[in-house]
Amino acid sequence: MQIQYKPRRGWLATIFQIEILQGMALTLKRLFSRPITRQYPDERPQIRLGFRGQHALVRDPATNDCKCIGCMRCAVVCPSRCIRIQSRKGKEPNSRRVIDNYRIEALRCIYCGFCAEVCPVNAIVLTEFYEYSSLDRASLHFTKEQLLANWDQFAAQLDMPADAYVNPFWRPRGFAERDLPAPKRLPVSPEWSGEQQVVGRQWQRYLPPEHA
Amino acid sequence: MDILLMLLWIVILVVVIMLHVAYATYFERKIIGHMQVRLGPMRVGWHGLLQPIADGVKSFFKEDIIPENADRSTFLAAPIICLTAMMTALAVLPFAKGWVLADIDIGLLFIFAMSSLASYGVVLAGWSSNSKYSFLGGMRSMAQVISYEISMGLSLVGVMLLAGSLNLSAIVEAQGDRFLGMYLLPQCIGFFVFFISMLAETNRVPFDLPEAETELVSGYSTEYSGMRYAIFFMAEYIGMMVMASIGTVCFLGGWNGPFPVPFFPPLWFVLKVYLFMFVFIWIRATLPRYRYDQLMGLGWKLLIPLALANIVLTACLKAILA
Repeated sequence: MQIQYKPRRGWLATIFQIEILQGMALTLKRLFSRPITRQYPDERPQIRLGFRGQHALVRDPATNDCKCIGCMRCAVVCPSRCIRIQSRKGKEPNSRRVIDNYRIEALRCIYCGFCAEVCPVNAIVLTEFYEYSSLDRASLHFTKEQLLANWDQFAAQLDMPADAYVNPFWRPRGFAERDLPAPKRLPVSPEWSGEQQVVGRQWQRYLPPEHA
Repeated sequence: MDILLMLLWIVILVVVIMLHVAYATYFERKIIGHMQVRLGPMRVGWHGLLQPIADGVKSFFKEDIIPENADRSTFLAAPIICLTAMMTALAVLPFAKGWVLADIDIGLLFIFAMSSLASYGVVLAGWSSNSKYSFLGGMRSMAQVISYEISMGLSLVGVMLLAGSLNLSAIVEAQGDRFLGMYLLPQCIGFFVFFISMLAETNRVPFDLPEAETELVSGYSTEYSGMRYAIFFMAEYIGMMVMASIGTVCFLGGWNGPFPVPFFPPLWFVLKVYLFMFVFIWIRATLPRYRYDQLMGLGWKLLIPLALANIVLTACLKAILA
């Protein structure tokens, strides 16, 4: 391995403290550069698809209830252990589990999106809504009803029918189509699936021309 | 009548300086913000222009907390000592020809005395707060001010030799209104030493060890709150202005400029002081803090010998040329 050492300073560079002057030149250059601050309440960030905001349970139009089947995968995968599910067996044989309550402590959530990726029926989603601060803790401990209401609120402002909405996190990235369970084989844009997955700062390449 | 007129001048000077101090904080926050690719204060007034006033009102109405185990009278006196000493130094500064409150012949010495007296306030604040952070901050300030006072005094001896006076107005007069008359060029070593000691004297980055917020919370002012904290802050900024003014008077030719300004003679002086303030802020945005032993090493092993060499050199040159 080639190690690049700093070149030795000459006596002139030592007297004039060339490194300090270089640093000062850099800060002076930055003084005239354009600030990157966003004046938040006046100037809103552009929220892109796949933003991880407020939690919601998708309302199934068939049953008018959540899609959750009580498999507990989200509760197990959650790194901050903020999901609690209470469920019981249904009365008739071969029926779905009945979800009594599905609680998320939003204050403990780290918004990793693992729950949405792991859910086999795409029941949970992190919506693009992010302004839900509160003055008390209790209102940020979401219950099943609140999570369903969150979905209704989010679905109301979507510009497409709610059942056509696909959250990119519902399709785990880096898997081939055939390795996914049927409900997870969702049509997402190529940047979210397989090799073209967008990592790091490359997202800027996918900006629409008016924001580039 | 004379006394009343004098009082009026004092009041005007204090008010003007206080406004400058308030807006120096705004200037600093804006410049540092833009250097860090941020915006700085933007919300209060147009581009945050009323921010210093909002800050002033806030600190004025904040609760004044005195720790239970603090040495009460010393704790109360410390910020006032600090501010008074710094403000007294303003009296001898010549802002323009004849624009000086007290035209005394030991002006330079007086400013030295006052700026070291201000560090008494810092030391007493550190001692009386009865807190380790404050105490460490106070101790550091004492050591730092004592070592850098020497190099600063010595660096200005060259100027005294050239001007033949300690009177600040006389020093400016001696430099004349030509560009080459400024002592910046003949005293470049002195200026270098003076500039670094000036940063250390005013506890500015990279020598802000007395209030190193990353290690000492807030140093000597940790236990202060509300108006008393604001007084320390004001004293620090007035200190910066006084030091910048000495630099202007002794090295940049004071109120003299390329052409005289008709209605507002101190314009060049103010511009030069703000140039110094800008460099203060610029350095703060660039450099990290020195380590304590490096600070002492720089002061005693480099600056003091340099300043002594500068005195010898200046004296010899003056003797040969005269």
